Amino acid sequence: MGKSSSRKKKDKVILPPQLPPEADDDEVVVSDEDVEFFRGNEGHARALARLDRKSIDSYVTRVAHHDEDEVERLYEERERRRKAAEALRPKKDGDDDDIEVDRVDALPVKTLQGDLVYNNAKKARYDDSSNAVGSKSEDKVADTKQTIQKGERKDKSKSKKGDGKLQNVQAQTEAPNGKLQSKVLEEVKEELSAEELFEKKKAQLAEIGMSMLEDPESHIRSLNDMLNICNDKDQKVVKLGLMSLLAVFRDIIPSYRIRQLTEKELTVEVSKDVKKMRYYEYTLLRSYKAYLQKLISLEKQPNFCALAVRCMCTLLDTAPHFNFRENEGKHRGEATIEAVRLIADHVKLNDCQLHPDSIEVFLSLRFDEDLGKDDREEDKGKPKKNKRRQNQEVPKQLPVSDNKKAKQELISKAREEVDAELRSVSFTLDPKERRRIQKETLSALFETYFRILKHSVSISNFRGKVIVFPDGSHPLLAPCLEGLGKFSHLIDLDFMGELIACLKKLSGYTDHHSGILHDNTLSVSERLQCCIVAFKVWRSNLEALNVDLQDFFVQLFNLILEYRPDRDRGEVLADALKTLLWEGKQQDMIRAAAFIKRLATFALSFGSAEAMAALITLKHLLQKNSKCRNMLENDSGGGSLSCLVAKYDPEAKDPYLSGALASVLWELSLLQKHYDSSVSSMASNILSMANLNPTQNPVPISNANPLEAYRDLSMEQELSKPANTLLPLNCRKKRRGKEFVALSPAALEGLDCVAGGDELKEKLQNHFAVLRGILENERLRAELNHTMSSINLYKEYKKQKKIRKSKADKKKVSRA
Amino acid sequence: MAKKLGKKARKFARKHLQSAAKRNRKQRSQFARRPRRGGSGRGNERSGDGDEEMPQRANDIVMNNGDAAALVNGLEFPEDESELNSDLSDSDGYLSEDSECLYYSDSEDGNAVNDCFVQDGLDGENDKMNMEIKKQKKKLNKLMDKDPEFANYLEKWQSELKSYGSKEDSDEDEMDSVDNTADSSDENPSNDKILTRKTISEWCQLVAKEPKASSLRSLLNAYRDACRFGVSKSPSVQRIQSTEVFYQIITFVLSEADNIFRAHLEISDDVNKGKIMNLRSAKKWQTIEPLVKSYLQNSLDLLSQLTDNQILACVLTRLRASAVLFSAYPSTSRRLLKILIRLWASGDHNLSLSSFLMIREVASLLPECLDLCLNKSYNTYLASSKLVNEGNIKHIGFLTDCLVELYSLDVQKSCERATTSIGQLNAILRQACKTKEKEDLRKVDSWQYINCANLWVRFLCCNYKDYNMHPLLSSVVQIIRGVAHLFPGTRYLPLRLRLVQMLNELSSCSQMFFPIPSLLFDCLEFRDTSQKEQGQKAKVNFSSLLKVPKNLLKSRDFHEECILLAIDVLSAHFAQWCYHVSFPEVATIPLILLKRLHEQTTIESLRRHIKRLIDQVDENKNIVERKRDGVSFSPNDTTSVQSFVQDLQAEKSSGKISQFYKNVPKKLRDWL
Repeated sequence: MGKSSSRKKKDKVILPPQLPPEADDDEVVVSDEDVEFFRGNEGHARALARLDRKSIDSYVTRVAHHDEDEVERLYEERERRRKAAEALRPKKDGDDDDIEVDRVDALPVKTLQGDLVYNNAKKARYDDSSNAVGSKSEDKVADTKQTIQKGERKDKSKSKKGDGKLQNVQAQTEAPNGKLQSKVLEEVKEELSAEELFEKKKAQLAEIGMSMLEDPESHIRSLNDMLNICNDKDQKVVKLGLMSLLAVFRDIIPSYRIRQLTEKELTVEVSKDVKKMRYYEYTLLRSYKAYLQKLISLEKQPNFCALAVRCMCTLLDTAPHFNFRENEGKHRGEATIEAVRLIADHVKLNDCQLHPDSIEVFLSLRFDEDLGKDDREEDKGKPKKNKRRQNQEVPKQLPVSDNKKAKQELISKAREEVDAELRSVSFTLDPKERRRIQKETLSALFETYFRILKHSVSISNFRGKVIVFPDGSHPLLAPCLEGLGKFSHLIDLDFMGELIACLKKLSGYTDHHSGILHDNTLSVSERLQCCIVAFKVWRSNLEALNVDLQDFFVQLFNLILEYRPDRDRGEVLADALKTLLWEGKQQDMIRAAAFIKRLATFALSFGSAEAMAALITLKHLLQKNSKCRNMLENDSGGGSLSCLVAKYDPEAKDPYLSGALASVLWELSLLQKHYDSSVSSMASNILSMANLNPTQNPVPISNANPLEAYRDLSMEQELSKPANTLLPLNCRKKRRGKEFVALSPAALEGLDCVAGGDELKEKLQNHFAVLRGILENERLRAELNHTMSSINLYKEYKKQKKIRKSKADKKKVSRA
Repeated sequence: MAKKLGKKARKFARKHLQSAAKRNRKQRSQFARRPRRGGSGRGNERSGDGDEEMPQRANDIVMNNGDAAALVNGLEFPEDESELNSDLSDSDGYLSEDSECLYYSDSEDGNAVNDCFVQDGLDGENDKMNMEIKKQKKKLNKLMDKDPEFANYLEKWQSELKSYGSKEDSDEDEMDSVDNTADSSDENPSNDKILTRKTISEWCQLVAKEPKASSLRSLLNAYRDACRFGVSKSPSVQRIQSTEVFYQIITFVLSEADNIFRAHLEISDDVNKGKIMNLRSAKKWQTIEPLVKSYLQNSLDLLSQLTDNQILACVLTRLRASAVLFSAYPSTSRRLLKILIRLWASGDHNLSLSSFLMIREVASLLPECLDLCLNKSYNTYLASSKLVNEGNIKHIGFLTDCLVELYSLDVQKSCERATTSIGQLNAILRQACKTKEKEDLRKVDSWQYINCANLWVRFLCCNYKDYNMHPLLSSVVQIIRGVAHLFPGTRYLPLRLRLVQMLNELSSCSQMFFPIPSLLFDCLEFRDTSQKEQGQKAKVNFSSLLKVPKNLLKSRDFHEECILLAIDVLSAHFAQWCYHVSFPEVATIPLILLKRLHEQTTIESLRRHIKRLIDQVDENKNIVERKRDGVSFSPNDTTSVQSFVQDLQAEKSSGKISQFYKNVPKKLRDWL
């Protein structure tokens, strides 16, 4: 106990109470280990008492004061001293238990940064042992240690004040001794060999893999080797092995299913080739099975889970037809519910900040139509809960949820498989059971949806005060709204009121538009979607609900002006027009008039697709509300109908207060001049209503609803249509006279630029002079070259002369 | 940059003059002559930087012509290069002279006096070389003296070299060989007589007095030699030695030749092609024809020789008078057009203008040249509009206008081309829209594409009223909208504003309604996110941008410019519809946005501008509203709506907005 007290004492003195709070968990773990270590090495712990307290104190306090230079200086000094002392001593074996280590040097070996520092120290030690040179390697060790300490110091200076518990850890690390070093050395050796082995195995894997890919038939047996490698102790090797196998399997799995041979078949004599083939298939099948089993077993281990699941998914993706696909597990909708629940939890955990894809899968769920209605009723529909293929890649932005997501992936995959299987075996589920499962799925689904809605509402409440998320977005809201729209008929009536209230809130968030759009408000598209969903929910429940949807009209009325092409999705706007106005029954006259006027104005400022959607809606409104047709006519100073507001206010926020009934749809006369012929003809068509009596409708020119019309005219659509080959125009043949059409007279000025005689003369003469100069230069150069080469020729000439001479001499000699 | 390059080039040229001269000759012979850096650099030394830049750009264009196909996005029209078949190239235009033509020798030794002020920069080097030659010759002589046997050896070698050299010479290039053979053939005794000032002035006087004088031939021969000076190696060229003589010949022939020929042929100024064709059988044509041919051909040589923009412009102006004469020589006209189009695309405004006028003259006089003219000029336009910067923006605008002029000569023919070109633009756009790949997008987001679209917009604007071009218009509009759709966002605001401006133009020419505001929301809702002023006052120049560089995206300057330009194009839109009965509705949504913008903008000058626009629009709106309160027709009464517009136009109080538009600082619209 004494030692512990002394330790504590030391803690107070030495330890700079600075530890990164985020490293908390790790530290605790390390601390436990250290405590164990401490107990196991009591003898060494006692060494604590002998610690050079002063130096430690000075060191630690300096550290605490962040006096780095000072510390470095101290270290260098210490180093010198130690070297000197070592020189005096005889060389020691590195494994000696009683090796004396300067405690200060040992200090940082294993500190708060746990593993990293430890490894470095090991490596340093490894250098030591491999070199087997005493003092020199000591130096190295010291160097590395110093660097380690530097790193540590940095960490310390970065870290904030820690708590006492963590201080203990620090104290533990101050108990270095010889044994530790020897242990370290052993580990280093192990690691070295492991590393070598790893390299070796990696190379082996690569080799086998390559040969397999080159010629699978003759190397099929290598699969076993690869599988063996996968049983390796080293996790890295296992992972690599699994990946390599995956690559190999992906490549070699045939496009057919291998059938088990019957006994009869086995007995039949076959040709060599067939035998070989059978062997190949057999081995492949066996290895594949083993591989799958391996994967399944590994899936349960946290370290391998992600990898295993990925491998399986890839296999399913590339070879869904192959044997053993059912290995991944059968289910009867349990998987669906599990997946939905998992996603629900996932959403909950991540506070709705997920990639939209993660809940978009819900859209592919299918429920029996009558699910929400009567429990008694026996359903006969086929069990269909299959999701169609989704983006398998659920986003990986949150590592925490990887497992779950991976499971979702797996499950959705598996479900696909199983469904196919189910259909093929015509396996039917007990209807009641199925119903139960579906109900549960549904409730989990709606739970998620409501959670997202509520979450969006709560964020929006903060609007203006705190920016909760920097992007201020609600990534899940759009798919959530879409899902609500899709499953609106299944929503429990009890929820309805709450849901509508929620949507109302969401759709109206910029109600008190202060002029500054906050970044974290809902986008126009999202708000429009809210309106759409509300109406869908309302309608799909037979409109029995006594809900006031007036607010949504007001929202739409204002949102029409907030819509921006490119920024907002035009389709949503068109859909909103369709859902709220086009599909609606008899509208309130004043409201209809307000919308009519606003849509007409809208059509003047927006592209033809939007304009068309607006005009179709407008026309529909005019048809349904024949009294509004008065707006087409200009009766003595505006509409003849009296209403609350006499003067039309184009910027009104409330359709009831806009006074639109008193206005005239002058817009249409301008829209008749619209460049887009479909828009202009629609405008004319609407205008023609003025001449008809209220019960008559004009000749319909298009049956499309606003959404269809929008899609039809949208730019994407227009550009994806085949280009209409422009026929060469038939212009009246007419040649123009001499008059200019494009150039302004100003541009033609300064034309007759007959430069002043002198200037021109000078320039021309200059031109000539330059040319003459060049000619002259050329001539001179040629002459010079000629002369030079003549001179050079002299040498040649001399040489030849010499040769001739020598030849002559030789001849003379020979003759002589 | 250009200046730097020019210096370097000059230095280089001085070092390698011989090779440079050779290269130039070669290029000239291909009619793809690039302005000779060596020569022109020196020639321009006294002129300013503006001149320096020009040949550089011309250079670029010529260089790019080679791989134009790859760079022009497949927008180019195909050209058949199988021209230049000869109706002239077989002869070099040498005219046999009457021997009675007298040659005079200069009494005063004027050469030295006249030439000393035209230092040609090479003199120093030439002098040095002269010295060197003397030195080396001395050395050689010494050697020969020492060893007389060597003299024999040398002689043998020299004769060998000569025979070898002549063989090589004939292989050198065809143009030269033509020259050589031609030169060797005209063994006229007068050829080696040096032309003196006196001779020339004497001839000139004779010709001026009596156009049919025989000295005209001699004069034209002299002109030929003058034009080929520095290109041809024939000895006859050596006849001209003084700058004065050169000047005399060129100026006299250029200024008088047309009159003389017309006098010979007895034709008036406004003669057309048909008349020339009719003349061809006449006797007077037969006699004068070689002279005309010689004159025209040599003038072309001169054009491809000259490097100074001013001289070129001058020569072109003079030559334009004789444009109709080219109609007798189709291939010469083609050659002429090629030279002209190259000069037209060069950067100098005056030269460009005079080339264009000549092109137009030729194109309207010679219908068979129109095709070539349209294709070639269109391709050249595309090539030179590839890069737009502050320096050449005006020039490109000018080129566009010129091209529109040319295309308006024969609208029927042009429409076919326009259809093809617009089809190509459309295909590129569709491809980009489909793949959304960077490569394809870049094809659309390029100056070439935009300039090409702009060309057809202008073309439509000029001709829409007179011809039925609606299908063409709608496909151009589709392209414009498609491009705008393809590149949303603040970064592409300059591009977008350009497109909006095009729509405005189309709208005003076709009197159709375009919902302009739908493309301007980005501008009008553009909030200055960064309040803090950036340190570097980087000036945003919209005129040469399609896409704003990222570092400027948040600058105040960009912000300001954006809104000002948006106000500009928006007020153009308002100005067009300000008399319409539906103006209040047209203005409704933009007004809401403008008011919002006015509230939010912190930049005072901007606020003022916005406020002014708002006030104008409001006022106009009130006028229209008051006026239409008093009328009794309904929106479907088209004729009454039309007369409403006319009534309002007649009223003095109305239409303030169009005045406002006219008063918006002009500079804003210059680039659009």
